Amino acid sequence: MSTTTPRRDRAKQAKPATTQTLKPATPGTSQTASGRHSQRWLAWIFLAPTILGMGLFTLVPIVASVVLAFFRWDIISAPTFVGFDNFAEVVQDPTVRVSFLNTIVFVIVAVAFQLGLALALAVMVQEKMPAWLRTFFRSAFFFPLILSAASVSIFMRYLFNEQFGVVNWFLSFAGIPAVPWLTTPGGSAAVVILVYVWQNFGFSFLLFIGGLASIPAETYEAASLDGATGWRKHTYVTLPLLSPTTLLASVMAIISALQVFDQPYVLTRGGPGDSTRTAVMVIFESAFQRLEFGQASAIGVILTLIIMAITAAQFRLSKRFVFYQ
Amino acid sequence: MTGATTGRLREISRRTALGALGAGIVGATVASWPRLSGSDIPGRGDNSLSIAIMGTAADAAARQRAIDAFTRLHPDIRVKVQAIQAVDWKDFFTKILTMVAAGTPPDVVYVATEGAQLFADKLAHPLDEYLRRDAADMAEFFDDVHPSLVEAFMYKGSLFQLPMDWNAANMYYNTTAFAQAGLERPADDWTNVDFRNSLAAMRKARPSDFTPYYWTNRLFGGVVPWLYANDTSFLKETRSTGGDWLWDSFYAKDPSRGLRSGGYQWLEPNADDPRVFETFDYLRGLVKDGLGVRPEEGGGSSLVGLFASNRIGTTPAGGYWVQGLHEAGMKENDYDVAFFPKWRTQRHQFGTAGYAIMKTAKDKDAAWEWIKFSSSREAMELIFPNPVTTPARRSMVNEALYSGKGPAHWKVFYDTLDKFPTTGPIPAPPQQAAVETALMKNVSLAVSGDERQLKQALESMQRDLELALRRQS
Repeated sequence: MSTTTPRRDRAKQAKPATTQTLKPATPGTSQTASGRHSQRWLAWIFLAPTILGMGLFTLVPIVASVVLAFFRWDIISAPTFVGFDNFAEVVQDPTVRVSFLNTIVFVIVAVAFQLGLALALAVMVQEKMPAWLRTFFRSAFFFPLILSAASVSIFMRYLFNEQFGVVNWFLSFAGIPAVPWLTTPGGSAAVVILVYVWQNFGFSFLLFIGGLASIPAETYEAASLDGATGWRKHTYVTLPLLSPTTLLASVMAIISALQVFDQPYVLTRGGPGDSTRTAVMVIFESAFQRLEFGQASAIGVILTLIIMAITAAQFRLSKRFVFYQ
Repeated sequence: MTGATTGRLREISRRTALGALGAGIVGATVASWPRLSGSDIPGRGDNSLSIAIMGTAADAAARQRAIDAFTRLHPDIRVKVQAIQAVDWKDFFTKILTMVAAGTPPDVVYVATEGAQLFADKLAHPLDEYLRRDAADMAEFFDDVHPSLVEAFMYKGSLFQLPMDWNAANMYYNTTAFAQAGLERPADDWTNVDFRNSLAAMRKARPSDFTPYYWTNRLFGGVVPWLYANDTSFLKETRSTGGDWLWDSFYAKDPSRGLRSGGYQWLEPNADDPRVFETFDYLRGLVKDGLGVRPEEGGGSSLVGLFASNRIGTTPAGGYWVQGLHEAGMKENDYDVAFFPKWRTQRHQFGTAGYAIMKTAKDKDAAWEWIKFSSSREAMELIFPNPVTTPARRSMVNEALYSGKGPAHWKVFYDTLDKFPTTGPIPAPPQQAAVETALMKNVSLAVSGDERQLKQALESMQRDLELALRRQS
């Protein structure tokens, strides 16, 4: 409905103009109409590969995974329809519940650190550093993001080894005894968060750099004339005017953190116990280790709904906290 | 109004007609086409015998000489080896299952004990008919291979794989660290108490930057060898009936014939067994007293390097370590290997591997010919020129294989099976991945805290194992 109305309006608007300018030549009118028609086809032809790709590799898998959530399927045998059984089993599974709880805690802590660190460094780099050094740090902070998360995690696993890791070796100079980083629940959670934040804060950092650059210098000058000093400028100028960027950075950081997998999988395999097991890890384990593709899809559907709900809540709250220039 | 409506209707109906026609063509094509899979991609669905092994392209290349020899014997069979990189066997099986889901399963897969029952239960084709047919040709192979290795591949009375290589969890030790602590080579029947005393002596001799006992949290070489030595396991072990056809055909005169069965079964959890608690408590004591490390989940990849750096006193491993230690610079007298310490028994844990024919294999006869050829001494010598594993054939575990690389007591490797005939495979039911996760996730907690935490961890393990075994059963 909504798409036909504007098209009709456009047609109405276009008709008199054509009639006026090309009144004597009626064939001209039909040429324009057929030209528009062929342009429309041309547009569809150019869009077709993208639409086809999106349809085949995004839309179809999404629909298939939702449908699969209502089946029991182990790849090898034929799928069996089980209704909502997968959802019921998933909700009752203590490992799934713990993994979702871990994921929520991880999101809160990791995103807070990621955004806080990115913002602090962005302000520092943007305001306190000369241009050449600014360029260097922009690249340096973004660099971890282009590394493979699995490779980084393997590397970090060596660094944080209790007996032979470099981290404990350095700590030993300060008289600190060897810390069991990866073999205790607290230590392993801390390392997973640390590695994740280190690797991902660069993206938020770049967003903040862009946001800071877009704040007009006159606003700061006006604030200075009003007697605002450094900290007050940050509180009353920078943070409010950066709020659209903060919203974007937080939405992206939360969505990404809710899907954390590589770091805990490689560093700790979800352990000790279930202390670092995350929602996506449980999806992977259900599907590819236990061959319960239906349950894996059910967990995936639940996770998607949670991500959608959180994102919607963020945008709703943004009406109160985000200021546009 | 009417005219506009008519015009719009005419336009929509034309589009609708075109759209419906297009959708109809696509729908009819999809409906009439058999399920599309990866093998429909041009170039993928050729007729060669595809063999999947765990490893790198270099590992695949190392098999080329064996492939060439096979091709000379069977010029009509084209062989294609796919090396699949994986962190561990669980990861490898995951990738094979992904290939199955994609519709491009290999015809033959090199499967270790960890996945033997998963494949036997769901994916593999039994070898029984081929072994009966070619019994005369195969007699020489079975004469040279210990029956314990064969039994590990029996499942519900049928044989699904022939063991090509294997490894027991023996105890490697650093000879320098032993000498510094004033220790002699351990006796063959040393006990868990002797072992602990040895660790304490090493700790006393080298108080810092040294780990007397390094172990990892995984199915092979983790807590399981200790459970076996204490005559228990985290799963209740039973045997299925059947398989007499094989034992009577090939092992009728073997002294351990009476022990053989139709295959191992692990149907129930056993983490609440008091001996399991006792075993974990022993390991917890080692960790608490600084004699052993808190094991990381998985691990193992860095272990060779750490052992070669002389910072580890003892660790459980098999014959697969020898080449790695040699390449890492260890001389043959820098280390040695002993039997695993005795507790209530001296039953060892072992893992073995061999080729399985997939149910979906296009040409199972060709797949069998490959397996039969691979089990020959000629092929095994081409595939295992170095001690990167322990060959399943007893005759190949000889002085020549270990010369210049060590260890001095390399005979320990095969003697493990001969001296301790109850030595058993890694407990790996068809639900192996879930079972392994249930075990591993609780081990670190069990050995890291106090007695109360140990009890909680074992209760949690029992619950997780129940759930894991209930699934897919």
